[in-house]
Formats: sequence, C-alpha cells, structure tokens
Amino acid sequence: MPSVETLAVALLGFYATGYFVLAGADIGTGMVAPYLGRTDRERRLVIASFAPFLLGNEVWLVATAGVFVGCFPVLEGELLTGQFAVVVPLLAGWVVRDAGLWLRGRVTGRAGRGWRAGCDGAVVCGSWTVALAWGWLLAGVLGGTPGRVATGAVAVVTSVAVAALFAAHGLGFAAARLTGPPYERARRLVGRTRAGGSFALTAVLMAAVPVAAGTALPLAGAAADGATLGLLVPALLVVTPLLVAVQAGTWWVFRHRVTGPSYL
Amino acid sequence: MESDASEVLDLARLQFALTAGGHFLFVALTLGLVTVVACLQTKATFGGGELDARLVRFWGQLYVVNYAVGIVTGIVMEFQFGLSWSGLTHHAGNVLGATLAVETIVAFFVESTFLGLWIFGWNRMGRWAHLAAIWIVTLTAYASAYWILVSNGFLNNPVGHRVEDGRVVLADPAAVLTNPSALLAFGHVLAGALLTAGFFMAAVSAYHLFRRTPEWVFFGRSLRVGVFLAFPAAVVTAVLGGLQMASIAVLQPVKSAVFRHDTAELARLQAELTARFGPGDYIPSEAWTRGGALVMLIAFALMLYLTLAGFVLAFFRNAVFRFRVWHVALIAAVPLPYLAMIGGWVFREAGRQPWVVYGLLRTEDAVSDLSPAAMRFSLVVFTTLFAALVVLNAWLLGRHARRGPGDVALGRDERADADTDPRDGPPVGPADALPAPRY
Repeated sequence: MPSVETLAVALLGFYATGYFVLAGADIGTGMVAPYLGRTDRERRLVIASFAPFLLGNEVWLVATAGVFVGCFPVLEGELLTGQFAVVVPLLAGWVVRDAGLWLRGRVTGRAGRGWRAGCDGAVVCGSWTVALAWGWLLAGVLGGTPGRVATGAVAVVTSVAVAALFAAHGLGFAAARLTGPPYERARRLVGRTRAGGSFALTAVLMAAVPVAAGTALPLAGAAADGATLGLLVPALLVVTPLLVAVQAGTWWVFRHRVTGPSYL
Repeated sequence: MESDASEVLDLARLQFALTAGGHFLFVALTLGLVTVVACLQTKATFGGGELDARLVRFWGQLYVVNYAVGIVTGIVMEFQFGLSWSGLTHHAGNVLGATLAVETIVAFFVESTFLGLWIFGWNRMGRWAHLAAIWIVTLTAYASAYWILVSNGFLNNPVGHRVEDGRVVLADPAAVLTNPSALLAFGHVLAGALLTAGFFMAAVSAYHLFRRTPEWVFFGRSLRVGVFLAFPAAVVTAVLGGLQMASIAVLQPVKSAVFRHDTAELARLQAELTARFGPGDYIPSEAWTRGGALVMLIAFALMLYLTLAGFVLAFFRNAVFRFRVWHVALIAAVPLPYLAMIGGWVFREAGRQPWVVYGLLRTEDAVSDLSPAAMRFSLVVFTTLFAALVVLNAWLLGRHARRGPGDVALGRDERADADTDPRDGPPVGPADALPAPRY
C-alpha cells in the first residue's frame, strides 16, 4: 500500500501529464496556425480541429495547480514566487491566446476581417509565449533551481527545444484531425508516418516533460499535513476516473476529422 | 528596505483587488445566466415551441461570450495565491489549498468539460444528453462558487483548525465546510447572481421593446422572465445579507463597528486587540469598508423599488410592450447589480484588514518576498489585460444584445454552412432560415 504522499505525487504527475499531452496539442496547433491556414476560412478550420477540446484541455493545468496547492502548498508558493518572472508571461500568454480563440468568431461579416486577423495574431503570439515560458520554467526546475529563474544559454536552448516540441505535437494533432489544404500542409511537415503516428511519438515526449520536472522538484517531504492529505487524496482518487471517463466521452463525440467550421 | 516591503504589499493588494474584482464582474452574470439558460432549455426540450429554442440560443450565446472572457480572468486568480501571497499558502495552505484543490477538480474540471460538450455538441448530441450537459454545467458552477466561498469563509472566519508551529492544521473538516461565513455568503452571492442576470435580461429586452424591433414577442417573454426572476432574487439577497450583518456583529466585531461608525466601540476593540496581539492598527480603512457597504445598500434599495414596481407592471401586457419610461429605467439600471456586488465584496474583504486570515495571519505577513519592480511589472500586465477584457466583453455583449436573436452563431447547424461560410460573403442571414434546432 503506497503512502498517501506517494499517491499525492502520482496525482500531481497525472494531471500535469494530462495537461502537456492534451493542451500541448492545441497550444502547438495554435503556434503553427498561420502555416496551416493561409486564409481566414482555413484558419477557422484549423481552430475547429481542437475547439471542442479547448476548455477540457486547459482545465488539466487548473487541476494541476489545484493538486499542487492542495497537496504541496508551501512548495507551490515557493515555486510560483521564485519563478514569478516566468509565470507572469505564461499566464499573460494564456489569457491573450484564450481571448483570441473565444472572441475570434464573434464579429462576423466583412467588418470583422480586421478583428479576426487581430484575434489570429493573439492566438499565435499567445501560444508561442505559453510554449516558450514552459521551456523557460522547465529550465529552472530541471537545472535544480526551482526558486530562481534560469538564465543564460541553457534557458534559451531549453525554451526553444520545448517550444519546438509543442509545435511538433500540434502539427501531429493537426495531421490527425484536419482535412483539405491545412491537412496537406501538416502532412508535408509531419512526413509519411501512419495517421496519428507522429502524434503518438510527440505525446510520449510531452508526457516525459512533466515527469522529468517532477523528479527534479523536492516533492518528498514537502506534502501538506497528514490530516489534509488523508481527506483530499482519497477524494481526488475517487473523482479522477470519472473525470477521465467524461473527457474520453468528449473525445469520442468529436472523434471525426473536421471538414467545416465550428462555433469559434 | 522598509519602504520597499510596504510598496510591494500595496501593489500586491491592489493587484489582487483588481483581478478578483474583475473576475467577480464576470462571475456574477455567468452564474445567474447559466441558471436561466438551463431553465429555458428544459422548457424547450419538454415540448417547447420554436420560440423556446430561439430563447435558449440567444441567451446562451450571451452567456458563452461572458463565460469565455470570465474564465481567462479566473485562471489568473488561481495563480495569484502562489505568485503574490506565498505566505498564505505557507501558513494556511493545509486548509486553503485543499478547498481550492477540490474546487478545481470536483467542480471546475467537470464544468469546463461539459460546457465544451454543450457548446460544440449542439447538433451532434441527443437533446436529452444536451439538456443534461447544461444542467451539469449549472450545478458544477454552483459547486465551484460554494468551494470558493468555503476558502473565502475560512479567511474571514477561520474554523475547524488548530495551529501547530505557527501553521494551520485541519482539525474538523465538517466545521470548515459548514462555516456560517461561507454558507451565508454562498446563498447571498447566488441570489445576487440571479438578480444580476434578471436585470441584464430585462435591460436587453427593454432595449428592443423601446426600439420597437420586430422581435417583440421574443423580448416581451424575455423581459417577463428577467423581471419575475429579479424580484424574488432581490428579496432572498436582502434576507441573506441581513443575516450576514447579524453574523458579522458576532464574528468580526471590528468590521461591524466600522460599518456602524461606532467610535467608542472601535476604541475599545483596538485596546482589546492590542492587548491580545501586541501593538498595531487593528481598524480597517473606514472609507473602503463603510463606503463599500453604503454603495451596496444604496444600489440595493434602488433595485428593490425597481423590481417591486416591475413585478407588478410585468403582469400587464400593455406595460410590457408600451411603457417606454419603464424600458428606459430598466436599461439604465444595468450597472446597479454590479455596483452592489462590488460594493458588498469591498465591504467584506476591506473590512477584514489588517488580517488575511482573521485573527491568525496579517496581510503584511502573507505577501511574497518580491521586488517592487517585479510587482509593478505584473500589476501593469494583468491590469492592462483585464481592463481590455472588461471593455471587450461589454462591447461584445452590447453588440450581440443589439443584434437580437436573428444572428446567433451558438447552436447553428455546422453542416448547413460547411460549404458556404457566411463570414466570407455578405452579412449573415437570419439563423432561423437554417434547419430548425432539434427541440
């Protein structure tokens, strides 16, 4: 029987992995959206590839932050405060990207051309900011200085590498979800792998990122008090399979390749 | 470096107040409007007519616009605790962290997933499954509000804990979950949200009736829904507000004395608290605390008269369609619930100072160890973003409200415009011309 602290670490890892694999796909697709979609209509199709999953994907990070603050409150505060200069752009990028996605389709007709171009810009810039900020944050955590922002060449290389992984993950997702010219463009970069093959590969790499970060964080001994964990961890363990089932249901409902625009 | 520390504290407080207040503006409407949409959809699903289905889509679209902008402000909120208030997670994390964790996973996770299903699954899911989705969204939104107010209730009235080595440890979970400071506030906020939604619906409808747009049947119905919702919601809000005032007198006597402007009592409490906690200023800012409460009460009094008159007027068909003075009053009244909400919240939170956890942890001891430059940078970033989002949201809500139910993207059958995207061509035709939704 694993200890309750071990289970808390496992929950944290599970939600963080879910975020990187699932939301990593829509962030990556947002990064390469100008390459995949050359016209207003094509870009709308690109967004439709992940639109139904957008809310369900990003909530994995909200849940990760929840498990983090619930099970490791002191470490959460130290990490976020220590990485303040990285987390602020990360959140700002997230806000800008989401606002662009949600508001893009809300101004229709000819008058909205400029509006939609502006929202596309927000989505692309926001997605790149989020991906690069994740790389920067990971450089600090993996470099053994979670309480201090990483600097120098290591920070730059890690940021670019992680951002490239996000983009590749997004391309694989787009190749598995899209049709028409955007699909052809994704296919050209992904290569002649079996449908979903590239996505599966990048998914494994994306899953490795939070696991590596977790092993570098001083999680052991940082858990909340036993009275809190004794209630919180079992409750989360009971709810988690239900949440996974509901999300699996969403993916099943929208499993077909997109051929037309959606609400966004 | 004394001045640096106090500058960081002021900046962190300002940032939290602006982000939480900004987020709260969205939540107030979201929480009320989702209830209305769920009820409208229930009627539409149980053999309602074409009008019912159009009501769901029009009010649903305004709800979704407001929700989408609100959610991104909520994301910033969640990270604020760790970013700027790591002292709070350090000292009170064993209780506060757990309630926030349950909120994100048990409530918000489910809400987001089902909202995605509801928005994008409009013409793909069976109508009963689609109805179930909006009800799950509604109930989890309530659950979310409950858990947030359990967290906030603990800050205002810490119960169910003991202190070990200067840190809070969970002792009695049931006491935390049934904290009167949380339960009363939960009911009060929920009723306030319904009041906000009622005023919003009534105002949008009044605008169309005043302008004599062709959708008079649609907006006559909507106006009645709004007015008939607003009056009982106002009464419940008032009752729960009164109960909270009584509870504050016991739980937070300083806040209560500041509100009553009772200087003798304040002097006595200051002496008592100094004896108990050592020297310090234990009296919160009177301008904010009393000011917030007065704004709330004045806005509320105006709303109560307006909803009472409206409740009677709405029974008369002629008044609903032709009483233009009333229409103008309803349009002008849109800011009132927001003023009351923000005023009440300022009263609640400013009145608990200098404590972040009442009687346990001072605000100045909870702020993160950051440089003033870092704090200023994040304040500028988040305030700019939030201000832009509030303006965009108001503009988009106004735009969609003015356009009326003829041009609603939510629930449009995607298969119908897969070939001809209306965005590339001339202005969109009425959505009604498309295949009727499956209700």
